[in-house]
Amino acid sequence: MKNIYKYTGVALAFLGAVLNTSCETDSAYEDEPASIAAIAVANPDFSTLETAAVLGDVALTLSNSNSNDASGDFTVFAPTNAAFARLGLEEATLGVLQQPFLKSTLLYHVSNGNLLSNSTTDGVTAPSLLGPTRRFIERDGAIYINGSEILATDISASNGTVHVIDKVMIASGADVVQTALALNDANVFKNPELTFLVAAVVYADLAGALSNPDASFTVFAPTDSAFKAVLEAVLGDDYTGTTDDIAKLDMVLGAGTVQAILLNHVFADVSEGKFTSELNAGTYDALGSDDITLGTFTDGVLSVSGSGNTAPANMVIPDVQTTNGIVHVIDQVLLPVL
Amino acid sequence: MNLNLRFLTGALFMMPVMMLAQSPVSGFMKVKGDGSITASFSSEKYDEVFLVPQKVDGVPVFNEVKTISYSLYAEYGLSDNFNLVFNLPYIKSEGQAIPETLENTGYENERKGVQDVSLYGKYRFASKATPNGMIDFIAAAGIETPLGDYRVDEELQSIIAIGNRSTNITGLAIASYKHNNGIFATGQIGYSLRSNDVPNALLSEVKLGYAASKFYLEGYVANQLSDDSGVDILGEGFNGFFPATRVNYTRLGFNAYVPVYKGLGVSGGYSNYIEGRNLGDADGFNWGVTYSF
Repeated sequence: MKNIYKYTGVALAFLGAVLNTSCETDSAYEDEPASIAAIAVANPDFSTLETAAVLGDVALTLSNSNSNDASGDFTVFAPTNAAFARLGLEEATLGVLQQPFLKSTLLYHVSNGNLLSNSTTDGVTAPSLLGPTRRFIERDGAIYINGSEILATDISASNGTVHVIDKVMIASGADVVQTALALNDANVFKNPELTFLVAAVVYADLAGALSNPDASFTVFAPTDSAFKAVLEAVLGDDYTGTTDDIAKLDMVLGAGTVQAILLNHVFADVSEGKFTSELNAGTYDALGSDDITLGTFTDGVLSVSGSGNTAPANMVIPDVQTTNGIVHVIDQVLLPVL
Repeated sequence: MNLNLRFLTGALFMMPVMMLAQSPVSGFMKVKGDGSITASFSSEKYDEVFLVPQKVDGVPVFNEVKTISYSLYAEYGLSDNFNLVFNLPYIKSEGQAIPETLENTGYENERKGVQDVSLYGKYRFASKATPNGMIDFIAAAGIETPLGDYRVDEELQSIIAIGNRSTNITGLAIASYKHNNGIFATGQIGYSLRSNDVPNALLSEVKLGYAASKFYLEGYVANQLSDDSGVDILGEGFNGFFPATRVNYTRLGFNAYVPVYKGLGVSGGYSNYIEGRNLGDADGFNWGVTYSF
């Protein structure tokens, strides 16, 4: 019998040991900070960013520490789903973008080290992993990075810091003309865009002026559908829907019309390109003879109109940073009184 | 009440099923010449993932993952004290990524194939009668190795990979107590050495059950603790290679078995994760048909 008790004791001790190891517990790691990538995955408000990071091939980078910075950290300005939705982007539509452009755009939201909110004050600039710097702007008590309002700051991650922003930031890394060409050549969207604008700039011989590296333009760039609407209205039966229609404008409305219209899309002040966060309602001199009128700053954008527009244009892609100015893509051509 | 030994030796532990569900080695021995063959089906699903530091809603890329498997499981008594255990699963794993994401990433919503074959030897080295029952002490060792040509190196596509492509050598120590009234309790603990950068793991399982002549019922808690050499998904060191992740879990399950006719019986079970790290919070059902001889 003694032997039996011994065995029973051994068995009980064994069972006890098994029971002791038999419960995986989260207490060991629930306090561990998540990586930047894990924060994006865990937060339903960053689901588009999550997909973008997968498609843009930065998800693994932002899972790990930053080998290019002594701190091992990154700072990420993370656009919410609503920020992507402003551009019509969500998981199902991110494929409209070329992958290299998507990756560049994401890297424009990232910088080395920890850029904390106490250092991101008005006038400060900070380089991005893409290269171009971003600048911080204070407006009505809120801090913006370029044209994007910072909604939440200093979210601590295992490999850096996250700030939440309300608009996707875009930098082309090229001048105004080359930026429009990148869209024209389908290097941004898989479908060409701004093809009529590019054709018009070339036709009106403005490419040289708009490539001036010493300028800092503020440009309002109408989409293809904006140009088509004007061309169809003016040309009537002569409208073909191709960029050849641009030249016909001068035939119908008089030589120099195309150039005059284009010059009305650029602020006369070419000393400093303006992000939406720096623009206010009012009338601005254009390079052309007309004025540009902005509506009130609402939800991060302003309406734009020329004197001949019956209804103002809306910004569809605001705050594109180029090497010689800021481009705001708009949904109507700014017209003088024709 | 006496244990129906024929029943126990002939019919038990037919449900190894899923790759992670429970130990393929039970606390019961088959007598020399007896064996059983089980064909089983299991289905599990998850749309939440245990990440560090928290469980997240929505499987990255794939949203929801459903896994079904068909397993062939066999036990055979080479002697009263030495049994062989064999298991071979075929697994199909299906994601629910939206068509646009599949197109943009080139990923596919399905991965399937024969997974890993396993063969264990189990040896009862001591057995002792207690006043109202019996305690068995069993040592087991086994090898699991990939048989199919499934892939694990497809970056995020491998979220729905059907296995790890590792060869595992596992040793287990098992103590099993059977009371004469049919109630039994089994504890096992072991360690698994794993290749292909899969972290080695400490395995343990506690099982409580009741075996009578007309039915068999068990509940178990199965646990895996991986070495901290493993990385966390989306954490430091993660390079998209999922086998290298540190997978821990505690799984709770129930199984029931009913003999139907002569050596034939049917089984069913349910299991769910209580806690985990770097794996889907799956719950699943399994069904099996066992022939004992």
